[in-house]
Amino acid sequence: MEEIFVPALGVSAENVYLQKWLKAPGDSVQAGEAIAIIETDKAELEITSNTSGIMGKQLFSEDTDVAVGITICVLLHEGETEN
Amino acid sequence: MTELNQAKDFLSQMILIREFETIAEGLTLRGKVPGGMHNSSGQEAVAVGVMAALKDEDAIASTHRSHHHSIARGMSTQSMMAELFTKSTGCSRGRGGSMHLVDLSRNYFGGNGIVGAGVSIAMGLALGIHILKKNAIAVGFMGDGAINTGRTWESINMAVIWNLPLLIVIDNNQYAVETFMDRVTGGRDFVARAKSFGMSAEIVDGQNVEEVYEATARARERILAGQGPQLINAVTYRYFGHNVGEVGKYRTQEEISDWKSNKDPIDNWISHLLSKNLITEDEISAIRESAKLEIVKAVEFAEASPFPNTDTVADDVDSGSLLRQL
Repeated sequence: MEEIFVPALGVSAENVYLQKWLKAPGDSVQAGEAIAIIETDKAELEITSNTSGIMGKQLFSEDTDVAVGITICVLLHEGETEN
Repeated sequence: MTELNQAKDFLSQMILIREFETIAEGLTLRGKVPGGMHNSSGQEAVAVGVMAALKDEDAIASTHRSHHHSIARGMSTQSMMAELFTKSTGCSRGRGGSMHLVDLSRNYFGGNGIVGAGVSIAMGLALGIHILKKNAIAVGFMGDGAINTGRTWESINMAVIWNLPLLIVIDNNQYAVETFMDRVTGGRDFVARAKSFGMSAEIVDGQNVEEVYEATARARERILAGQGPQLINAVTYRYFGHNVGEVGKYRTQEEISDWKSNKDPIDNWISHLLSKNLITEDEISAIRESAKLEIVKAVEFAEASPFPNTDTVADDVDSGSLLRQL
């Protein structure tokens, strides 16, 4: 299972804006594929997965602020289920 | 140190660096490392090979990407990790962060945030060694991005005309942030450029720890024999972005995979040691476990340490306290 979180990208932002999910729960995701778009005070960025798997539950909805370092969803690997 | 011990030591150090960087990268992404960091994964052999050929009395200046140099020089991973966290127990008492890892007790003047400044600092250290007539050399690391920076060549020129005991090592990962070096470097040949300044220079495989070690040992001998400044262009590759979290679209996945799969300095050194029966699989597992444990302890130490007391904010801003440590 890979926890996907909002990465800390600089010293200024404590929160980022979750603009859009690019994958829905149950979608298959390839390693390196973008799963969401976020906005910081400087730029719009993609959040990508490091591994391949199936999107699990999304812990935040679109159009909300999320703190840096917080897990926003998990990616399930083969044979794994969500608790 | 026997040759066999040194061969195993090369491996232990490279694995420890990789483990430090892997854990530190994750912590940085989670927001634990203020200001971020520059991951040196992939470049371990340059640091370990160079440092193994140096002596305690040699002085070293690093770059913005310095974790591998710091570990290879023997710095405590606890004081390094605490510094990344900007805690008071860090090597720079939490005031420097990732780019200011320093250990003056090891003649290691550490990293800095200015492109090419390691060369200038090392030139000054070499001048000091020359004036004090010490039997030692100064080593300045630079990245390939510093090859087109003015201060690099001003410093090298002075070292050449004064015949200073200076070794320059290009920790050449081929990309200056997002820019491939060939696109921006006239002549494209770092060795030829160095030679045109009147110094000896050679190119080495920066993914081969033994080759880096031997080239450094040769360069050090030539410098101590009075043959003047030397330059080593160690060609290597960084596995991650310039800084943690960088969105990297300037290198192909094929290129990154090729370096990781076919030219990895740790994998290659393990293959070499196994083929010569110099190490067992059990010993390799033990080295990996020991590295993991050391970095877990470093993170625990950093987490448990306090941030600097705000009452001390004016400490260490003048040179007096620094000089008292020397």
